[in-house]
Amino acid sequence: MSYRDRLEGLAADEPESLLKLLKQEDEEIESKLGLNNGMLNLHRVINEDPGLRKRIERILDRFYPNDINAKSQENNEEDVDDIYDADEHRVKSDAKLRIVDTEEEVIPPENFSHIVGEIYRSSFPRPENFPFLQNSIKLKSIMVLIPEDYPQENLDFMSQAKIKLFQIGMSGNKEPFVNIPSDLLTSALEVAINPENHPILIHCNRGKHRTGCLVGCIRRLQNWSLTMIFDEYRRFAFPKARALDQQFIEMYDEEKIKKTAHEKKWLPIKW
Amino acid sequence: MVYIPPLNFAPVVSTEVSLYRSGYPMPLNYHFIADQLHLKTVIYVGDKDISEDYKEFLDSQGIRYEFVHVESCRDANINTQMNQVLRKVLDKKNYPILIHSNKGKHRVGVVVGIIRKLFQGWSTTGIYQEYGIFSGGLKGEVDLEFITMFDTQLVVRRDGVPDFVKLPSDGGDYREFDGRNKP
Repeated sequence: MSYRDRLEGLAADEPESLLKLLKQEDEEIESKLGLNNGMLNLHRVINEDPGLRKRIERILDRFYPNDINAKSQENNEEDVDDIYDADEHRVKSDAKLRIVDTEEEVIPPENFSHIVGEIYRSSFPRPENFPFLQNSIKLKSIMVLIPEDYPQENLDFMSQAKIKLFQIGMSGNKEPFVNIPSDLLTSALEVAINPENHPILIHCNRGKHRTGCLVGCIRRLQNWSLTMIFDEYRRFAFPKARALDQQFIEMYDEEKIKKTAHEKKWLPIKW
Repeated sequence: MVYIPPLNFAPVVSTEVSLYRSGYPMPLNYHFIADQLHLKTVIYVGDKDISEDYKEFLDSQGIRYEFVHVESCRDANINTQMNQVLRKVLDKKNYPILIHSNKGKHRVGVVVGIIRKLFQGWSTTGIYQEYGIFSGGLKGEVDLEFITMFDTQLVVRRDGVPDFVKLPSDGGDYREFDGRNKP
């Protein structure tokens, strides 16, 4: 029986114990669910399965009726940015492709910017951005922070341009129930600041929240003051800055990545 | 030691040369600039006389200060002023460069927009987007129109031009920018 099935079962029969599990997510839960491979992250499992997520949200609504308004507003607006929609991606790409074609100019992806050295950030790149990524910034790697499958056209482009793909699937920080797990962020940082992977582009869906969290943690490794880290986070997340993303950046435990980075001599990151 | 970058600080180009943008550096930011950026040139596009602190700091670091007086892109002689900035940017010897205004939003946004357009061939959409990220979306139309319309007849030595600048392959030592990157 998979976790999903077990969670489904809990959602149907014992909503109270499910709520309790959500509040204390650790090894204890794994043993309760009879799973011991150390991979369980309840929030992640739930977030990756839309059906299960809906059911659990309904249970939460039943127990926390006061949150319903706030939450449904958030579901409708805030999180649209976090959901990667393959159809939307394709429609926008088709439309743009027809317009561009003969132009010589290069088109950076939305929300594109330099972070430090040859580390770049942006929203989800589309075909009209490929010449820019290949010829102008000469990418060696792309790191995507969403869990969904990468579109075939992007994969085709990358194999032709010899760009390596790193995928570290994070669920969007869905306040207040889903958080980015710290260890995922540490593995993302290991890819991002490793000079062997540069030039590298880091992106999620809109290049605001997940990418913003990662960039914030890169700034922590550069010893930036929190005020200026958040200033930068908000500039790119505008108008949808999230308190919990900023809290995440502040609370992120950098000890492990600092140790790795020092051993491999990746710090200080070169401008 | 905590580093405090100036307002709206960001790299603009970071390949074989480094170009940065920001607001006016204050004493709190000096440690970051001295320790991290190793600047050779600072270009201030703005309207204020240099402060004592700042002058002392730049002198102590051996950073050259270039002041280009710009009130806004509606200035009467704005083309001359802009060419003055671009001439510095087109010379490898001046790097690493920091271009700053007061808040690092509008005046610097215009300079960066023009660099993106003339030297890097960015699409208008990309330029507007970047301008918007740093300006917070306020009072942009005049600036954006200026970026779109701006053109220059500046002539510089080809061998001094940094690699990130797209040059047409006409083989000459000198290069005229006509805004469309045509030879």
